Amino acid sequence: MYSLHKLLWELRRDPVLAERFRANPSEVLAGYDLAPADSTAMMARDFRTLYERGANPYLLYFCALQIGVSRQDYYAQLRGE
Amino acid sequence: MAELTGVFATAHSPGLTGFPERVAQPKRDAVRAAFDEVARRIQDIGPDVIVAVSVEHFTNFFLANLPAFAIATGDRHLGPVTPEMGKFLGIAQRYYPGHRELGTHIYRYALAHDFDPALADGGFGFDENFCVPLELLRTGTTPIVPVVVNGVNPPYPTARRCYAFGRMLAAAITATDVADKVVVLATGGLSHWVGMPQAGTIDEEFDRDFLARLTDGDAARLTDYDDDRIEAAGNGAHEIRAWLVAAGAAGAGFETLAYEPTPEWLTGTAVAAACL
Repeated sequence: MYSLHKLLWELRRDPVLAERFRANPSEVLAGYDLAPADSTAMMARDFRTLYERGANPYLLYFCALQIGVSRQDYYAQLRGE
Repeated sequence: MAELTGVFATAHSPGLTGFPERVAQPKRDAVRAAFDEVARRIQDIGPDVIVAVSVEHFTNFFLANLPAFAIATGDRHLGPVTPEMGKFLGIAQRYYPGHRELGTHIYRYALAHDFDPALADGGFGFDENFCVPLELLRTGTTPIVPVVVNGVNPPYPTARRCYAFGRMLAAAITATDVADKVVVLATGGLSHWVGMPQAGTIDEEFDRDFLARLTDGDAARLTDYDDDRIEAAGNGAHEIRAWLVAAGAAGAGFETLAYEPTPEWLTGTAVAAACL
């Protein structure tokens, strides 16, 4: 979980990294030692799965906004709407 | 010796400055009037320094190094930490002056009195935690000594420890002559959920019960919270730990100047002042 949290945090703090992630997520993910399930969820921007796997909700939410997922979409996803 | 001349606690929801219009007029006005009242009282006091206590939302600290308590002693603090955040909060980015002498004194005093906060000796940035209330309270160039309590990732410092930290803080303030008049301002809360499916829910019962305990000022009741009870009012409710630091600093009951459940701002919004 630490590697996922590190990725979420760094995506939020570094606009260049966030931009790279938007363009080519697998290239960015290659630099982080994520559990396969976390990696798959990040590729799919599947925040519900990451939430259910126990990711810190602050880090998850801030990262979502930074990589271009709107607040409405993020919450709709978490609520299964 | 310095005097602790005021202790206040307020919400810090981004919506207060970023999207106030989403809350209907009577509620919004009640909250705004309470902030104005605190602003007036602080202006009347004319403090040399404000010790501002809150959580921080992974703006400075991360899980690689997450202090339970931290004191920022730097000469200045940037807030909001990015122009982007400034736009979201509707607050212009600027440097808030720090107060190295008082910050360092509190840090030293804490260590000498069995508390072990982390030291943030510079490079400390603000998010909504401090920018939103300081904007509404129009504190201008009054120096700020930020104190951070972990309320964003479990495990948390206990309610009892937060209150005790506040007692220590008050003792530290009255044991130095590097300032004359000091105000303590805690920010955050009350019930709310961030990044969770329940976002927008308000636990009014939790909020009103907390404010009743705060009004009463009884330390035993104020510290009778375990993590589960607080978590049941949302991951953001852990911010009451900052309020508990203020309650400890005051060692007195508070008056609630406003309480409004405001789902549009995603929080139970409260403003309170200690009856010193």
